[in-house]
Amino acid sequence: MAGLSTAGCSGRSRRAPSGLLSAQQQQPSLSGDGSKLAVIADQRGRPTVQLRDLKSGQPLQLRHFSRHQPHSSPSLSWNGRYLAAVIQRGNRRLVLIEDRLTGRAHPLRLPAGRDPVTLSLAPDARELAVQTAEQGRWQVEVFNLSELLEADRAGGRRETTTMQDP
Amino acid sequence: MRPQPGLNSALRRSADSRRQPALGQQWLVSIASRNGRERIELVDLRTRQPVPLPGLNQAGSQPVSASVSGNGKRIAFIRTREGRTELMLYRRDAGALQRLPVEPSGVPREVSLDGEGRRLAVQVSREGRWDVDVIRLP
Repeated sequence: MAGLSTAGCSGRSRRAPSGLLSAQQQQPSLSGDGSKLAVIADQRGRPTVQLRDLKSGQPLQLRHFSRHQPHSSPSLSWNGRYLAAVIQRGNRRLVLIEDRLTGRAHPLRLPAGRDPVTLSLAPDARELAVQTAEQGRWQVEVFNLSELLEADRAGGRRETTTMQDP
Repeated sequence: MRPQPGLNSALRRSADSRRQPALGQQWLVSIASRNGRERIELVDLRTRQPVPLPGLNQAGSQPVSASVSGNGKRIAFIRTREGRTELMLYRRDAGALQRLPVEPSGVPREVSLDGEGRRLAVQVSREGRWDVDVIRLP
């Protein structure tokens, strides 16, 4: 049922277990380490970001992407700590970045009232590139996020935390 | 969120329009339009200069989607050429262009590479529905 399949370059493909990912998946984005996949899938008719661990095939919970649809253009950092996507709030489009380590959400409005069309998060989450429309033509702008987000680098912080005894 | 005015004005000046950005670690790939022709372009974010991609943009081909590996060594892209839509892989070190099979057959639409360029996810239209295939690359 799910439209997720895996294949070697030589061509043979096999279908992955369906899990909770629904049919009609679009706009795939891999984490830098290749362990996670974000897609846009219809959820009750609304285009919604979904995230899956590719090794286990299991869906991963997101705290901040259950509303403000339609979602589009998901993008993941290296270990999948950060997930960025374009969301709709009222009549405005904005960028939402979920920090899956802390559970925090970072809604970002673009300067000068511009609406994001597509986006891409750098693997270490230090930069964000956004496609906007300006005077009837597409533009790409790059923003520095280093004052907003910790870096998510290869071999960096893990997503799990150790509980300390009181 | 801090704009990067020098880089952004260089991006604006260097193309009539630009779309579909995808970031690597120090790389930005996008589809840039000049004089009505669209090309895939890679910019080194440190120098703010475009990087030559010999053999990638071929006459008569129209780019659809592009993604750069985190290390900047590989670019996966989708193009239409002679009526066919193809999934392609470009290796910068060798300047080598390779067509990747989409199986079962379908029409690719959007592509994403991982950090090392060893795994690729592609949105494919098959029999009226959108699938996502994950492909391991040698």
